[in-house]
Amino acid sequence: MKTGFRVFLAAFIALGTSWCGFVLAPVLQLGEAKQTQVLNSSDIYPVQRTGDATLGLQVYRASGCAACHTEQIQQSGVACEIELTSVGKNPDAVEKQINANVSFPLGVNFITNDQNIPYVGNPVLISHLPQIILNHLEKSKADAVVGGITSAAGKAEIHIVATGADISRGWGVRRSVAADYLYDYPVQLGSVRVGPDLADVGARLGNTDWQLLHLYAPQSMTKNSAMPPFRFLFETKKIGDAPSPDALQLPKKFAPPAGYEVVPTDDAKNLVAYLLSLRADAPLYEAPFTPPQISTNVPAK
Amino acid sequence: MSDEPKISNSQPEAGPTATSSTVPMWIFSLTLVLIYLGAVYFDHHGGWFDSQIYSPYMSADELDSYQPKSGAAAMLAQGKKTYEMICGICHGVDGLGKPGQSPPLAGSEWVNAKGDKRLAMIPLLGLAGSVTVKGQNWNMSMAPMGAGLSDSDLAAVLSYIRTSWGNKDEPVTPDDVKSVRAIVAGHSAINGEAQLKTIPE
Repeated sequence: MKTGFRVFLAAFIALGTSWCGFVLAPVLQLGEAKQTQVLNSSDIYPVQRTGDATLGLQVYRASGCAACHTEQIQQSGVACEIELTSVGKNPDAVEKQINANVSFPLGVNFITNDQNIPYVGNPVLISHLPQIILNHLEKSKADAVVGGITSAAGKAEIHIVATGADISRGWGVRRSVAADYLYDYPVQLGSVRVGPDLADVGARLGNTDWQLLHLYAPQSMTKNSAMPPFRFLFETKKIGDAPSPDALQLPKKFAPPAGYEVVPTDDAKNLVAYLLSLRADAPLYEAPFTPPQISTNVPAK
Repeated sequence: MSDEPKISNSQPEAGPTATSSTVPMWIFSLTLVLIYLGAVYFDHHGGWFDSQIYSPYMSADELDSYQPKSGAAAMLAQGKKTYEMICGICHGVDGLGKPGQSPPLAGSEWVNAKGDKRLAMIPLLGLAGSVTVKGQNWNMSMAPMGAGLSDSDLAAVLSYIRTSWGNKDEPVTPDDVKSVRAIVAGHSAINGEAQLKTIPE
């Protein structure tokens, strides 16, 4: 076989280049990933999971949750909102500056009295500030509007908002990035969405009782849910001397026969701990957004 | 059997042979043009394999421009960061202070003063001697922790402590800090409450 060496070389190059593309390049790009700082905060993200949540990941994996649920929020774009915080001493000048920068249907119409709100334009009740006056703006436009407001002695802030179908479904506030999966082993990305995305479920549905009831009887919590019940994660036991403090408070339709109670197993508790640990709601440098409000106003004791 | 293929015994005179021939010039040119266009597209949209750049953003510059950093909320966030790094070690990240170490800032009459001059002087000059905070006497000394901060950082910290943990006061602007810094230049640490009270709010 005269061309044997050449065939070997061709196969080697073909496999070698795909290895470089699929293995080497990602390792060079993300292999050094470590915890990062949350935007404008001293908090570190992500935080290592607690022990029960780490075990819960294996329950999630064994129960085949990833067959119907994804853990990846997608984002198609980014937009700016303008929050007007103060109109200064000359509201008319501020209004003029804003309307000079945005085209007709977007323009604002400052009013001082909430009794006669006009039905045209974008009425802004200037006695109730701060409020969002404009949204879905590009960054350059937003900068121009805020520049105009500032020049007229008003005050405004730009809020960065992620946009896209997943965001508008309420599944998250920003896209998923590599940092979200730092402590997942194996990563449960999923590829089919029979059920909703779970990348941010801990922030959305962060109630342990709700999650346990939903695992035992999904239809008791979400009518018309397509999710099968995961009853093997629970035990139906005869009530002993006293009912267990862990027993589920089920609605009548799903309740066990009288004298029995439904108690979650360790697997169920771990799975719920894992679900509650799924949070993708920290603003990061690579996925910036303005959090709804900065929680500095904790009441003093 | 008439449809059986006829096997010829005669050897073909010459089999097909592969000879070398040059690739047409137009394929070369087209490939180069495609590579060039691909490279230009990648340069604008690819983010150069940066691990921080994800899809709606196309370059590091674009990502940088979307970082929320303007406005009062961002200033407070910056103040929170600086506070937790420097001040929070003694005064606590919850602003409640630490018994025997540092007085509370939450609800403190010195933090909630009408003006911000007196407050700004404390981190700029330091404070020694006895001072009463929320009805309790404290006699310790604080180094001029804020002297090394920039005007905007110090203003952010002061704004943060004046608007957090139930404190509801006007934020401090970098210009305020700048003017106070000019006043205090060359002075030594404030000595106790008595001297602190001589400074106008």
